[in-house]
Amino acid sequence: MSYKKRLIAGAAAVAAMAMGLAGCGSDANGNASDDSSDGGVVNITYMHRLPDNDGMVLVKDIVAKWNKEHPNIQVKATKFDGKASEMIKKLETDVKNDNAPDLAQVGYAELPEVFTKDMLQDVSEYAEQYKDHFASGPYSLMQVGGKYFGLPQDTGPLVYFYNKAEFDKLGISVPKTADEMVESAKKAAAAGKYIMSYQPDEAGNMISGLAGASGGWYKVVDDAWVVDTETDGSKAVADLYQQLLDAKAATTNARWDASFDASLQDGSLIGTVAAAWEAPLFMGSAGDTGAGDWQVAQLGDWFDNAGKTGPDGGSGVVVLKNSKHPKEAMEFLDWFNTQVSDLVSQGLVPAATTEDAETPEDWSKFFGGQDIMAEFKTANNNMGDFTYMPGFSAVATAMNETAAKAVDGSGKVEDIFSVAQKTSIDTLKNLNLSVKE
Amino acid sequence: MTTTTHAANAAGDRRSSKPKRSDAAKREHRTGWAFMAPFAILFALVFILPIFWAIYSSFFRQVAEGGGAYGGGKLVNKFVGLQNFQYVVTSATFWSGIGRVLLYTLIQVPVMIIAALVLAMLLDSYIVKRVTVFRLGYFLPYAIPGIVASIIWVFLYNGQISPIVKGLAAIGVNVDFFAKNIVIGSMANITTWTFTGYNMLIFLAALQAIPHDLYEAARIDGANGLQIAWHIKLPNVRAAALLAMLLSIVGTIQLFNEPEIMSVSDPSISKSFTPMMMALYTSRGTLTPSGDGPASAIAIVMALIAGVLAALYALAERKVNEQ
Repeated sequence: MSYKKRLIAGAAAVAAMAMGLAGCGSDANGNASDDSSDGGVVNITYMHRLPDNDGMVLVKDIVAKWNKEHPNIQVKATKFDGKASEMIKKLETDVKNDNAPDLAQVGYAELPEVFTKDMLQDVSEYAEQYKDHFASGPYSLMQVGGKYFGLPQDTGPLVYFYNKAEFDKLGISVPKTADEMVESAKKAAAAGKYIMSYQPDEAGNMISGLAGASGGWYKVVDDAWVVDTETDGSKAVADLYQQLLDAKAATTNARWDASFDASLQDGSLIGTVAAAWEAPLFMGSAGDTGAGDWQVAQLGDWFDNAGKTGPDGGSGVVVLKNSKHPKEAMEFLDWFNTQVSDLVSQGLVPAATTEDAETPEDWSKFFGGQDIMAEFKTANNNMGDFTYMPGFSAVATAMNETAAKAVDGSGKVEDIFSVAQKTSIDTLKNLNLSVKE
Repeated sequence: MTTTTHAANAAGDRRSSKPKRSDAAKREHRTGWAFMAPFAILFALVFILPIFWAIYSSFFRQVAEGGGAYGGGKLVNKFVGLQNFQYVVTSATFWSGIGRVLLYTLIQVPVMIIAALVLAMLLDSYIVKRVTVFRLGYFLPYAIPGIVASIIWVFLYNGQISPIVKGLAAIGVNVDFFAKNIVIGSMANITTWTFTGYNMLIFLAALQAIPHDLYEAARIDGANGLQIAWHIKLPNVRAAALLAMLLSIVGTIQLFNEPEIMSVSDPSISKSFTPMMMALYTSRGTLTPSGDGPASAIAIVMALIAGVLAALYALAERKVNEQ
């Protein structure tokens, strides 16, 4: 082999390697802009972050059912392993590079932000016909400024989980008012038990939901944001938690730390506010401790909320900007989001109203035979309206940090809301959006 | 691809005009370039290019130009000049992050380097039998990925499940590894645990490169083991110490794994606890102003600070050596 030939061969090898590298970026995720209609078949890609744990009906199995019945609309689902904020970042990059999936899971709190980032496709014309399949609250959370971008999947109303057997032993019942709550919590704490948990790492999601039960924080007036995070509801939340912290009558473990699980397993935590979707996670955390003794109840009037509850999490699925087949994507989405029993197995409280969600057997075993889905549904119907602002994740982060300071006494619970106010306005201004102060 | 070939050819042609160069040397030269190419191309793609991209994007900020409450759903990549840098250098959050990592470096690096040096000296002495076992044992923590090491330690720190905390409590010592003034020490402990063995290996290699006749000569002159360690071994591992210190300083400025993992247990460790975390969470939109522009600016300022510190240390070290 002559020198020249060798050089060319070497160059070709390098070029092939370079191409291989460049190729890595594009084909792994199933690309919406691929030539998706070969021979009349429409290919749809869907990225989710549902748990897909053992014992659940896997998303790919649900999708396989659809694919079997619809040879002309073939869907490929991919699971994103990571946090919501990581997924948004990835989708943002993918949309820019024109290789994003057609459909993607987006939390209600993230939707305005994703809209502002120009990642969505207006699918109002297709959404309208599916409107009746979903509860109106979650359905309306899928719109921004009157335009719809997808369909709701699940909801996260806040409810109260408690260990009834332990409550009976202490001679207390689920408190009805804030005063009763403080009194019972102190009584329980005296016996080394806690009927409330203060979770600093969930403050941004849960405390905003609790405060929002009596009224939202963000309103759009004359196309500008009016921010008020220091509402009466917020004050009531701050007041109750501060009293509980001062009396050392609530646990202060972070929700996603092993110590929270430990407090359930050693039986010291016997009551907590939780989002409906936490039920299966909660069962995993508790292990065998108290299995069969737990119950689900509606929130009492603890936060000046008069029987209302607030949202904590919950997601919809949106059609991303580059999708070439929004009509087919929406058709699949309506079908997928109404596969109620399959979605329930994933731990979701479905937003669909097409059939009643049944409580899975192992859930009702853990929750003392109770039909907890019915409780969740009641909570769903009691949910106050809460509009999120674009960039809410920055507000939630600031709230969490401030919430942690109340644990060691270097701050107060009410600081969470003043920080939320300041961060909300800073965030909106940094995004160059209109704010009325 | 063609550029490389041309470059190789051009280089070859230029050289060939020199009469002394034989054809064989020319060919060798070209072959050298061809062998370099895979590295050079990858290096440019995954190293040089991202740096320039980060510098470029640090002059932009993503803002909604559409006005109104939702900005009309259009984000514009707006050239903002030095505004992102202005934000970084005037941000109290950023500087307290830098302050934390500097404090961390001041505490952790000397402790670790001295520990590594002592261990290396011990292994290099005649005191220790079965050097291989110890060498491997000390090095083993380094084989555990930083994130995993942090997770293990968080379990050991956790008041409710840790055998250490419970054991200490049983003998009447109540420790809280997450207490405000202790939490940095708890992180430093994880880093020290992970990297001491690695630094020890650097020192050990340097120690074993010292010619043994030096020791013999010293012994004949009546020096004992300690004197040999102090007067011969220590001066000879200076270069290795400089390398280990530089790597450690740069490494601790980029502190990320430990606080990131520990923040799960202790949410008061903020998302901007260290500059590295601040850069990541800024790019993800969990800190405001958000986006790639401000995040790149944070990363660049941080890199500059780390570079300046490393250079200062190297200069100071050289000065000391000259004296």
